[in-house]
Amino acid sequence: MATDTDYKKSLEYYKHLSLFWTDMVYLMASKPAALTSAGPMRKFAIQAKKLTTEMIEANEDLTEFNTRLAEYYKQLSDTWIEAQEKVNKKIPEIPQDMENLEASKRVWIDMFENDFTQLFDSQKFGENFGKLISSELELSKHWNSMLSTLLETANVPTKNDLDDVYKELHSLRKRVSKLEKNEGSDNDGK
Amino acid sequence: MENELKIDPKIVSEFFKFNKNIIEAPKMVPAPGEINLEMTPYDVAYTEDKVRLLHFTSPTQKQHKVPIVIAYALINRYHILDIHPQKSWVRNILTQGFDVYMIDWGTPTKIDKYLSFDDYVNGYIDNCVDFVRNEASVEKVSLQGYCTGGTLATVYAALHPNKIKNLIATAPVIDGKRDTTVVGNLAKHVDVDNMVETIGNMPPEFMYYVFSVLKPFEQGIEKYINFFRNVEDKNYVDNFLRIEKWLSETPPIPGELFKQWIRDIYQDSVLIQNNMYVGGKLVSLKNITMPIFTQVAVGDHLVSPECSMPLHYAVGSEDKTLRIYPTGHVGMIASSFSQKVVLPELGQWLKERSEK
Repeated sequence: MATDTDYKKSLEYYKHLSLFWTDMVYLMASKPAALTSAGPMRKFAIQAKKLTTEMIEANEDLTEFNTRLAEYYKQLSDTWIEAQEKVNKKIPEIPQDMENLEASKRVWIDMFENDFTQLFDSQKFGENFGKLISSELELSKHWNSMLSTLLETANVPTKNDLDDVYKELHSLRKRVSKLEKNEGSDNDGK
Repeated sequence: MENELKIDPKIVSEFFKFNKNIIEAPKMVPAPGEINLEMTPYDVAYTEDKVRLLHFTSPTQKQHKVPIVIAYALINRYHILDIHPQKSWVRNILTQGFDVYMIDWGTPTKIDKYLSFDDYVNGYIDNCVDFVRNEASVEKVSLQGYCTGGTLATVYAALHPNKIKNLIATAPVIDGKRDTTVVGNLAKHVDVDNMVETIGNMPPEFMYYVFSVLKPFEQGIEKYINFFRNVEDKNYVDNFLRIEKWLSETPPIPGELFKQWIRDIYQDSVLIQNNMYVGGKLVSLKNITMPIFTQVAVGDHLVSPECSMPLHYAVGSEDKTLRIYPTGHVGMIASSFSQKVVLPELGQWLKERSEK
């Protein structure tokens, strides 16, 4: 039976294989490609390798994401089963009058609430949740990076370009606010 | 043939009534989008970027010289403090003769990604406090902070003690490492640097996820069952929809602020260790020497008492009061209990410390 290590090894191999040929093709074709490509498409030709690399790496992170997501649902499902077993023991028969129905509902809600809160409060849930979010963020990064490559070739501002603008605006807003404050205190003194 | 299934006819009638209520609900109940959450009238006294300083119109004559500035939380909107005429925190304080201002943080957008603790504390709060001091012709104001607003107010009071007459910290987030809630557990395990670098501001959807794991069965199932059972009760429906609408509207949190928040308050707990830096200045809780009133709720499932209470013991104030209420995070500020117990106590405490 294939293990996780075997899977990672074969992924490593395919990554290497793919990068090897992408590099080779790039090296072999870059000179003729430089002759034929001009303008924005030239940039795309140069950066095409980046897209391949990102896709391969995204595949790796997708494995981690899937592992974490599977663990996330396993934890939810295990807790559900455990809570349901407790409820079944507490309520052996189907309630047939209104008062019992209300009481059963209360027991069901309390037991599920208690078990799920314990789960969400636990270290194992917190750790897996943190890693799940991190792997999701890694996937987003690859996607952003691929998109940036495409946007750059179309000469459209990327996320990084916009971040620079936001940073600059933040700094300007701060300076203006400081100037306004100083001006206000100068006027008060007059 | 004998009928073996002996079901109480009440169950059957309840079942049919419940189904009827679901069908009839749209005819009887307004859509949450149609509900106006603005209750007590106010003027917008000051604005800066997306922040607004609201000045509430008092139904009674002002009896106390020192105005109160409320720093609302960064999660959801300020409406919870004025959610219903009979449960309004703002209205209650107004009728006790105080002048009330509230900071509405607005809705940050991508452009606000780099707003930090420094911008909120030494920028927005300081400018709002200065505005009120000038407007009311007073040296100092009373500052109240609720939830995450309690943290901002605490940091502000530590850095600008000369401008604060009284500090009221209502369920403040102070020592995140000691927090025993699900929020604390998730916050401790999130790679916040990576998150902010990748997605910028903390998206509302992430907050909605966090809400969903807090009491998922009471809040996710039972609450709605009860709503459909009670659609004929106008008062119940009105309260329910107001709170639901309030819960469903949370703005993003600026990335830089969120990063510092999670790291300094929840993961490293540097605020309580007097080791937090804001705008290059060390925040020492010992600098808080003005009278302080700390309010915590035993049943708070968002900010546990263990997270808020250390503030009471860490400040330098000699005049300090700690009240622990048998209610929850929202119950402490927007319930009949808060009107009957929490607010009269706070009003009395403030009256004794606000000049006439």
